[in-house]
Amino acid sequence: MAVAAKPRIHEVPDDLLAAIDWCYEQGWTDGLPVVPPVVDRVDAMLAAEARPREMVIAHHPATGLDLSLHAAAVNAVMAGCLPEYFPVIVAAFEAMDRTDFNFHGSTASTGGSAPLLVVSGPYAEEIGMNADVNLFGPGNRANGTIGRATRLILRNVFQMLPGISDKSTQGNPGKYSFCIAERARGNPWPLLCEAQGYDKGASSVTCFAGGGFFNVENHGGNTPEEVLGSVADSMANYGCISLGQSVVILAPEHMKIVTDAGWSREKVQEFLFVAARRSVEGMKSAGKYRDREYDTQHGEGAHALAMEGFMHRGLRPDDILVTMGGGDAGGHSCFIPSWSRGRTSIMQHQAITPPPAGIPK
Amino acid sequence: MQLYSPMSTTPKRKAFRAPPLASLEGLRIGLLENGKLNADEMLREVAALFVERHGCTIRTVASKRNASAPAPSATLTQVAQEVDFLITGLGD
Repeated sequence: MAVAAKPRIHEVPDDLLAAIDWCYEQGWTDGLPVVPPVVDRVDAMLAAEARPREMVIAHHPATGLDLSLHAAAVNAVMAGCLPEYFPVIVAAFEAMDRTDFNFHGSTASTGGSAPLLVVSGPYAEEIGMNADVNLFGPGNRANGTIGRATRLILRNVFQMLPGISDKSTQGNPGKYSFCIAERARGNPWPLLCEAQGYDKGASSVTCFAGGGFFNVENHGGNTPEEVLGSVADSMANYGCISLGQSVVILAPEHMKIVTDAGWSREKVQEFLFVAARRSVEGMKSAGKYRDREYDTQHGEGAHALAMEGFMHRGLRPDDILVTMGGGDAGGHSCFIPSWSRGRTSIMQHQAITPPPAGIPK
Repeated sequence: MQLYSPMSTTPKRKAFRAPPLASLEGLRIGLLENGKLNADEMLREVAALFVERHGCTIRTVASKRNASAPAPSATLTQVAQEVDFLITGLGD
């Protein structure tokens, strides 16, 4: 087990507002005020985790910096998290620590990646996460602060500082916070955590290096093909079509149309994979065609649905995470493209371990 | 009021610059391209200047499969044995 060195403590005057300003002066914030990480609050945060605070849970390959449970807890306090949110943050970093997520690229790139966290299973509801109206915010403390803590850790622990080591050309609003819960209420499909193979009653967090947010408006479509056709059109736009993965969050209105027709998640994924495509000629007209990418999609091991003469988004249907989220009213789904234009960051998921003493009531 | 630092406690990694080359004449060049559009072409153009002006030879062209991840240590170790200096850069 990797172990971190003893953390540093700063003595500051007993003035809360001055302490907030002091945190700004240290360069510890994302531009918004932070909760000063007083020792007691950090210790309370760590009570949600059974393992020792010195334990290292993630490592940044380019900077060589480690993330300990302690440092994660400090940043969670600063973001405004409650202790019961902490297991989600820990699980997210354990997931993102895997090589295939590519921590360095997804935090440093000009592409403006923000880690999207999708929490699935009963734990989301137990800690009061929002899976409903205003899904992507604002308004919910758990969603907002878990996503913010994730970003503060990247900034403060891994030193991915905007303009210095984070070279994002235009940034991304998700770099403040990008965290949602999967909607279980009225969801006709197995939850993601079930589809991912976790035990009944378990919850998971899925982490995806997201590249932005596309609203898919469709109030006129009344069939799966019409509704999903508009989703696929967003996925295949010349601004983002690539070999990368995708996240699609279907609004309940759209989900009803799809599932009333008997479509499963797998059928939706296959439809989207086939429909989210551009011709080789079209790709060339936009200056986005590369032989190497075409060969990757159509060469050895190509998916049977990959059509000759076309570039699809992703390599196969299960590259598309599809689930339901958002409020009951409105024909507004969304598509979130991968930051990665290829296969340099693959989404990861991890089980959430609830606090050893349970969730405070 | 006592505040914890939110930063990593990992000691800063020490980095050293390689000693400057006394001469470029006749040295072996390695190229490490990042796999992005035009990276290979750009690096070969740069290397050609060293060949033309200093009689260098291009000995190794290594390619990163993942442009945004550090080069595998095995790649760097191998290239270091075969060349006197390495040229790399971002293609896109």
